[in-house]
Amino acid sequence: MLKCELKKFFSKKTNKAILTALLLGAVIISFLAVDNMSYTDTGEEITTGFSKITAGRRIEAEKNQWKGELTPEKIADAAKSYHELKQSDSEGVPNLESEKTGPPLDILYFAAKIYQTENDVILLADLDRLAETDHGHIYDTYADNLQDVAVEYAKTPEQEKLLTEQFGKIKFPVTYEAYDAWEIMAEDAEMYIMVLVVVIGFLAAGIIDEEFRTHAEKIFFTTKYGRSKAVRNKIIAGMLATTIVYWAGIGILSLISFGLMGVSGFDTPCQIDDPYIMYTITKGQRYLLVVVCGYIASLLSAAVTMLVTAKMHTEKVAVFIPILMYWVSYIVVRLTVVDAAYFVPYILVNMDNAAKYYIFFQIGNVVFRLIPFVMVLYVAVSIILLPFIYRSCSRYDSAKSIKKRSKYLEVK
Amino acid sequence: MELRFKGVSKQYGDVLAVDNVSYSMETGVYGLLGVNGAGKTTLMTMLCAVTRPTAGEITWDGKDIFRLGERYRDLLGYLPQNFGFYPDLSVSDYMMYIASIKGIRPDTAKKRIKELLEMVGVSKYKGRKMKTLSGGMARRVGIAQAMLNDPKILVLDEPTAGLDPNERIRFRNLISGLAEDRLVLLSTHIVSDVEFIAEQIILMKDGKFFFTGTSEELTSGMEEGVWSCTVPSDKVNQYMQKYPVGNVKHVSGGVELRLLSKTPPSENAVREEATLEDVFLLYFGEKAGDEDAEI
Repeated sequence: MLKCELKKFFSKKTNKAILTALLLGAVIISFLAVDNMSYTDTGEEITTGFSKITAGRRIEAEKNQWKGELTPEKIADAAKSYHELKQSDSEGVPNLESEKTGPPLDILYFAAKIYQTENDVILLADLDRLAETDHGHIYDTYADNLQDVAVEYAKTPEQEKLLTEQFGKIKFPVTYEAYDAWEIMAEDAEMYIMVLVVVIGFLAAGIIDEEFRTHAEKIFFTTKYGRSKAVRNKIIAGMLATTIVYWAGIGILSLISFGLMGVSGFDTPCQIDDPYIMYTITKGQRYLLVVVCGYIASLLSAAVTMLVTAKMHTEKVAVFIPILMYWVSYIVVRLTVVDAAYFVPYILVNMDNAAKYYIFFQIGNVVFRLIPFVMVLYVAVSIILLPFIYRSCSRYDSAKSIKKRSKYLEVK
Repeated sequence: MELRFKGVSKQYGDVLAVDNVSYSMETGVYGLLGVNGAGKTTLMTMLCAVTRPTAGEITWDGKDIFRLGERYRDLLGYLPQNFGFYPDLSVSDYMMYIASIKGIRPDTAKKRIKELLEMVGVSKYKGRKMKTLSGGMARRVGIAQAMLNDPKILVLDEPTAGLDPNERIRFRNLISGLAEDRLVLLSTHIVSDVEFIAEQIILMKDGKFFFTGTSEELTSGMEEGVWSCTVPSDKVNQYMQKYPVGNVKHVSGGVELRLLSKTPPSENAVREEATLEDVFLLYFGEKAGDEDAEI
């Protein structure tokens, strides 16, 4: 029965067109991600055309000369190397991308951010000062700063304790490996996920809507399993189709992008470019977090649209809900000052930024951080909605359907 | 094997679509006859447990059909008036899907589908998408899907609506062949559909049953006689206003009318044998001339 339901889903002409567009979108975004990488050769010429495909790999190879633990000595070397290049440059602004012997800016910025905590913006002057600084105690300074952040951003002693515990998990010295591919992909994957969650909502709603739109529901609901197993299989098909479509899209996107740019930097901690984030994850783990949360957002999108379609007997309203959930709620997050607003579903498709927020949810003495909380919350919501979809479908009454449809038309 | 409804009513807002009807059906073909809007489809949807009655109860062998749920639906084959299907599925995939939700095992379903598609004459189109089928062919698939589970109760709501005369005859014969050992309820506003195949006829008007019985009982129960007479062309309107007129045919020397009257309408009037169509004309009057009703 499930096989038949899936066959019905994948044989639908509209679905075929949408799936083709989604897969094509994944390919296009992959190449746009690759295109974001620009490699400058020693002649200060930026690679263009077909050779740009290899830019990621070439950047990775050069930056990885500095791969390994960022010990105070290595940071001092990087600062010194930068200073020397600066001295030798006629304009005093060395192009580190063309100077193949220079240190990656990532390392310099990491060090600068530890010394410069009051301002988020790192200026060239901050980098200049690194050569004159004694880095012997850089990790002591870092640890002190982390403690200050814990005190500043925690609103309760429990939150402070949690922050201290999280910061305590950061391993000193921080390790470095070129992570450009993961950085670009975290952003591009989110862009693709924003589209996926809306489209998946539409596709899932169609599984329920098809019965009503084609007037096939009377036959469906008069069959032996039309109000039990067949409904259950529709819901499972919705979730399965969501899973297949989502992971096929993300799979293609990841495969092409990382295949061309490489996977260097999977184990580089996120603290390398934001030393004070409370999530002790690596760049690779952050990418996985982005795609897993995107998957949760897709499941939620599918569950909500299926439920609304089952209730209203049409998908015409349901398909707009993911847009509200993920696109419009972005504005709520941007405009609000209330922490609670950060728990909107939009956060699921904005993990890259969510990791930077010091947002907590506290019940008594138990404190949850924003990301694990929204992940658990929306997985639970997606699961909780499923019996309601079942209930709405299995209690179908054609008389109510006529009433609902006529009401909808009246409103229209 | 008895499908019984007792005091069944269905109200949609201010409209009483079915008004306190009671009846009992066993095996055989039952023709539910009435003009459009008589309440036939509403009654059918209640019998198929798609909608619940506002009042009254429907039982199968003494048990409430809504309580029986799956067990009742397992006995049911239904072809609704607006036969909806999944346009992008092929005929055989559509049948396999319906078989799956009817709880038929795939290997059994394949054999059954082959038989049924041959029976309804669409086996050579089994690979074609449902949306490419003509109305007649789609309806044949509709019959086949209703028969998949070899139902004890076969409910066909306006199965011949929109079909050409040849298709209609073919359908009648097909339905007639299916009637053995099962209850077939055939709803239509087309008299000829039920005249030859229904053992029992139910006339429905304004949500009520006002006659139930055989075709012979219906015709013999008519107080009016059926007359055929030729009248001058300029008198046709007078006759049409005075009597229910079934047929108007231009012949040499005037117009030949077939009409209903208790007394001979003219000196040259000849008594004719009453048919179900005459009964329909008598009880439903002008409404009997709704679309397709002339066939």
